Amino acid sequence: MKNTALYAIPIRYMLIYVVFILISGLWLFFLSQGLDSSGSVISTLKNVIASPAAKSVEGLVEVVTPHLFSIGTLIFVTAHFMLFSTKVSQKVSLKVAMLLFVFALFDIFAYFAITFGLVVSGWIKLVAVSGFVLFFLLILGLVGFSL
Amino acid sequence: MKFLVTKDLAHSTLLSYLMGSVVFAILMYLGFDMVLHAYVIGLDLHSVSVTLFGDVENFVEPILIDSLLLQVHIDLFMTLFALLILSSIFIRLYSDKVMTKWIVHFLLSMGILAPVALILAYFVSTLFSVIWLISFVLWHLLASIVAVMILKKLLAK
Repeated sequence: MKNTALYAIPIRYMLIYVVFILISGLWLFFLSQGLDSSGSVISTLKNVIASPAAKSVEGLVEVVTPHLFSIGTLIFVTAHFMLFSTKVSQKVSLKVAMLLFVFALFDIFAYFAITFGLVVSGWIKLVAVSGFVLFFLLILGLVGFSL
Repeated sequence: MKFLVTKDLAHSTLLSYLMGSVVFAILMYLGFDMVLHAYVIGLDLHSVSVTLFGDVENFVEPILIDSLLLQVHIDLFMTLFALLILSSIFIRLYSDKVMTKWIVHFLLSMGILAPVALILAYFVSTLFSVIWLISFVLWHLLASIVAVMILKKLLAK
């Protein structure tokens, strides 16, 4: 363990990988909401708000299941690097990480509210996705700042 | 992966066996990942081109962007975890070597270049399918070499 600074290299790359994972995930979500036919992100967002794409429970379970594992693991691995941080307090890291977990679960299950007819508008999914992405970027920023 | 850095475990037999086992599993994953991509995308320029852009003469439709993007999304996740574990163990065992830093840089940058190049090949230019092919094969090859180096060092202990 002579050169612990070397461990910062894979962590830096991890931050970039996670950003790309988030971008591709958002892109996939917009595609499922008709990005291809509407042509622009703004009109897709309007579509989501006005009339979110109908999804079956089976389809949702198919998406939810791998995401529960992968997002949970990804948050754990990313956030656990904050244990090494000397620049950010553990209290702040704890709050951000827990809020991120809450928004992740909210994001994963938000579409069930639309499918079961609890809400008509897709606002709930947009709020969930935005919160999740913003908190993930925040924890990535904290890890990057701590390096 | 704090446990990989902890000095208290420097001479732990259990950790050595665990690292050896996970690296062996990753080595097998790398082989099967090549086979999977040979089926899904293709591992030569012609089959990559047919997958991405279709083949009018043989009535082959190009891959749907949803399917390609899903593959890239999964690839990014799997590559991240495989390379994060591999590079952490590699740094632990070879931290005294000058080349370690550059090997880790090369490995992780090739790992991210491959999925990005695949998307760019679909949207921008076929030139990127060459970049995808080279970066994909290179990071798998280098990751396999790194895995063998780790196993060699662990077995020599």
